[in-house]
Amino acid sequence: MSTVRPVRTGEQVAAPEPLVTIKSAAKVYGTNQGLAPLSLAIHAGERVALVGPSGSGKTTLLRLLAGALVPDQGTRSVIINGKSPAELKPGRELASLVGIVSQRFDLVPHLPVLHNVLAGRLGHWTLARSILSLVWPMERRAAQQALARVGIADKINERPGRLSGGEQQRVAIARMMMQSPLVILADEPVASLDPARAEEVMELLVGLVSWNENDGSSQRTLIASLHTASLIRRHFTRVIGLRESRVQFDLPAGELDDAVLDELYDLGDDTDDIEPLAGLAARDG
Amino acid sequence: MSLRRLQNWLTGPRLLTLGIVFALAWSLSRVDWQQPIGHTGGGGAALQVLLALFPPELSQEFLRICVVASWHTLAYAIAGMSIAVALGLPLGVLASGVLASSPDGSETRRRTLMASVRFLLAAMRSVHELVWVLLFVAAVGLSPMAAILAMAIPYAGILGRIYAEQLQDVPAEPVAALRTTGASSAHILLYGYIPMALPDLLSYTFYRLECGIRAAAIMSFVGIDGIGFQIELSLADLLFRQVWTLLIFLVALVVAVDWWSSRVRRSMAY
Ligand SMILES: Nc1ncnc2c1ncn2[C@@H]1O[C@H](COP(=O)(O)OP(=O)(O)O)[C@@H](O)[C@H]1O
Ligand SMILES: [Mg+2]
Repeated sequence: MSTVRPVRTGEQVAAPEPLVTIKSAAKVYGTNQGLAPLSLAIHAGERVALVGPSGSGKTTLLRLLAGALVPDQGTRSVIINGKSPAELKPGRELASLVGIVSQRFDLVPHLPVLHNVLAGRLGHWTLARSILSLVWPMERRAAQQALARVGIADKINERPGRLSGGEQQRVAIARMMMQSPLVILADEPVASLDPARAEEVMELLVGLVSWNENDGSSQRTLIASLHTASLIRRHFTRVIGLRESRVQFDLPAGELDDAVLDELYDLGDDTDDIEPLAGLAARDG
Repeated sequence: MSLRRLQNWLTGPRLLTLGIVFALAWSLSRVDWQQPIGHTGGGGAALQVLLALFPPELSQEFLRICVVASWHTLAYAIAGMSIAVALGLPLGVLASGVLASSPDGSETRRRTLMASVRFLLAAMRSVHELVWVLLFVAAVGLSPMAAILAMAIPYAGILGRIYAEQLQDVPAEPVAALRTTGASSAHILLYGYIPMALPDLLSYTFYRLECGIRAAAIMSFVGIDGIGFQIELSLADLLFRQVWTLLIFLVALVVAVDWWSSRVRRSMAY
């Protein structure tokens, strides 16, 4: 089954090399199957939504991509732009390759928003610069601009604990702007937000993909897990359905209708009836 | 309960607890409960000591002695604590293992390092400051440095051990998020572990400073000026009114540190 779907730009003939290649990567936690062997190719500029019920392996897949987990088959089963994130030492190269906005709790509550945003630069900074920055913040203007872009410039000196969930998510996105990686991962970035806030945060994330400090050109790629069909259709180019740590479908985001999503989430009622999903996978191939 | 169930129930920690309970019970059974607790005629002596509190010695001359002694005690305690923190923090960081927890780091190397630093910390604190001060006085004579070093060593051992635990107890999610920004372990220590543990680290350090003041007072019994030394002199002359004044100064010092620490902690609340 070919899941490669190059972004068509005019009359391009040869498909470009995928930016992200996953070759039968799997993860077992003790006796728990986190992710069954899975293969995927994702091209630069794609915006991929991961859907699936809790426990289907979305977080595991994203953490494998971020290099925060090592795949059981070895580090080379996840390749981004020719490199394996789990093999890279901390530092500039890893920081510029891939970054992740996590579900919740991922700001340091004791540091002001400014330093949480500047933490996105840690991979780029020397230790001396980082120490100095705690006293005399470096790149303060860039942090201010990032916060202005996410609409909370006035919160720069607040503690994250005083912010709402949506505002905290914006701080995490501003931190991602400072990190500025090629591949942006987001684990349920809108899970705890009301629909209006979710729409705004989604727009920011998508804006991040098409944002370049220098020329505004887009070569970034977004991979995010979420559950809302309307957001997926509006903001993504491709949607991958996971269930019990396997890929159930891989569709252009526009073809995702609510029925497909309902089936993915409701299968628990009659577990031996997996025909419809097999059908979906076939339709994709 | 079958023998098998009993065997399963008797795990290492439970055996240890049982052992300690038995030891306690045995030692209580050895106490001769027939003996009176105080010595004969103790009632009258106790009354005399107590009455000396009304009033304590408040002559200007003696108050000046008290102020100087308190100042010395506080200075030794703060100097000793400063060295203890300067030693204990880096050792605690090493013992916590947070510097070497990147996914590719060698697990055996990390565990060996953690275990050896923990051993060093345990060795430092297993000898009491009073023993250290006798050793140092024997080595370098009656100098304030003897008291300061005697306090710094065991206190660094205690601080390092508690710091290590407080660093390990930091929430994992923000740390994991920092790691995905490409930050090294040293960066994460500065931007994650230390800021998140800071309220606990400070609170425990202040508590230890209080203990340090008591320890510095006691250590001066060996003959270095301080509240303890003055208490010893007054006791030798049976001047209980002076002893009370000195004790009041000691309490005031500890209360002042407690007040300072709560001020600092309140200013850090987030
Ligand atoms: N740290 C872990 N230890 C053990 N099992 C885990 C761990 N993380 C995830 N799992 C298991 O792996 C499976 C996939 O989890 P996850 O990737 O978190 O799914 P999702 O993000 O889609 O909810 C689940 O069955 C979950 O219980
Ligand atoms: Mg998840």
